[in-house]
Amino acid sequence: MNTEPEKVPIQVKPKDYKSAIKPVWCPGCGDFAVLNAITKALAYLGLPNEQVAFITGIGCSSRIAAYTSLYGFHGVHGRALALAGGLKAARKDLTVLVAGGDGDGLSIGGNHFIHACRRNMDMTYIIMDNEVYGMTKGQASPTTASDWTKSKLTPQGSGIRPFQPAGLALTSGASFIARGFTGDPNGLARMLVAAIKHKGFSFVQAMSPCPTFRPEQMNWKHQVKPFAEEPTADTIVAAQRIQADDGMSTGIIFKREYPVFQPGNGGGTHDVSLFESEFEI
Amino acid sequence: MSLADKITSLDSFLAWSVALEEEAADRHDELADMMDIHNNPEVTETFRKLAHYSRLHAQEIREHSIGRRLPVIAPWDFDWDTMEGPETADIGDVNYLMNTAHALKIAMGNEKRAHDFYYTISQESPDPEVRKLAGEFALEEKEHLELLEKWMEACSESAEEEIFDPDPPHMPE
Repeated sequence: MNTEPEKVPIQVKPKDYKSAIKPVWCPGCGDFAVLNAITKALAYLGLPNEQVAFITGIGCSSRIAAYTSLYGFHGVHGRALALAGGLKAARKDLTVLVAGGDGDGLSIGGNHFIHACRRNMDMTYIIMDNEVYGMTKGQASPTTASDWTKSKLTPQGSGIRPFQPAGLALTSGASFIARGFTGDPNGLARMLVAAIKHKGFSFVQAMSPCPTFRPEQMNWKHQVKPFAEEPTADTIVAAQRIQADDGMSTGIIFKREYPVFQPGNGGGTHDVSLFESEFEI
Repeated sequence: MSLADKITSLDSFLAWSVALEEEAADRHDELADMMDIHNNPEVTETFRKLAHYSRLHAQEIREHSIGRRLPVIAPWDFDWDTMEGPETADIGDVNYLMNTAHALKIAMGNEKRAHDFYYTISQESPDPEVRKLAGEFALEEKEHLELLEKWMEACSESAEEEIFDPDPPHMPE
């Protein structure tokens, strides 16, 4: 008779993916919910901590990697995607998450963003979008409305039309595009599960209110609504959906299989010592 | 679909209830950490106490679950009527300069929503066991609410007090 107890799968908890470092974000910041959503998604997927790398840029939101117990790299401003691409090229076995703010990702890192979209490496990029540079005390970012007058730097408004991140991702060739809201961290977590499982470059715009420099965004919770339609694989339909939307609809917008770019797919046999010899003094 | 339609058995009800209380406890701890980092010790302690009470309630529900195998439900599959669990405080409702009364007001809102959740189940579930237990939990939430009201009465601060920041982070000219 088999007396071995029935095996119950070990359930990991979201807190197993958090570090002991407490976030220094302002109380009320939406970025807390992004952290919760990521850890919930990872717990659901049951990914081992050491198999996930979290690469971030610079800014309030980019601190997020330190608040997880994953391998993290708090990188150079706007260059998180470049670093992540290098890592993925070398270690295709890792699940690579990338995060940063709207300024980091769409201004300083704007060029990297569009090329990461078309390159379609298998990674997930989360832009925590609060439409402001928070860490430098509230300047207009690439997603700030042109008539936002609350910054000392642009007291008459920037006068520049904002980027539409989902539209930019679509025209740049991203294969998975979604928009979530931090007031719905469980919905955001579900979206991240789909993004991480997607083979290719998945882009998630997380609308994350800034209570300090954009307190009016705390009203977003009364303005967001789900997209009425299911995700599409048709770029024209997706473009129309994005253009017709007021920017407050959430859900997976576009999802399509494109060839995944992965250097070394043919079998990498590089000898690191050859590269090291190039740098010998 | 009503809550009673979504919660179809005692096991399912217990799973929802544990999730409700644990999510509330985790959020209270998260808010306590926020206040701690921003040097607001009084409100840190308040949220820490609230987290403790939520954990006690979660433990009590877990004791009802001994010997049962509760369904494992993904966080997004609970399909609450609210964006998060009914007893979960909204991260957006806090401010680093808030006082204890502000925190208690948030907690009272949480307890009221939790009470309403359990009360609705106690009235609408087709399962008599679920109705009975939900009724007990609703009563407990009502007691928690009364305790918070007493705590609020004893509080020297006011929840109506406007938060004044003498050194605002952002001063447009």
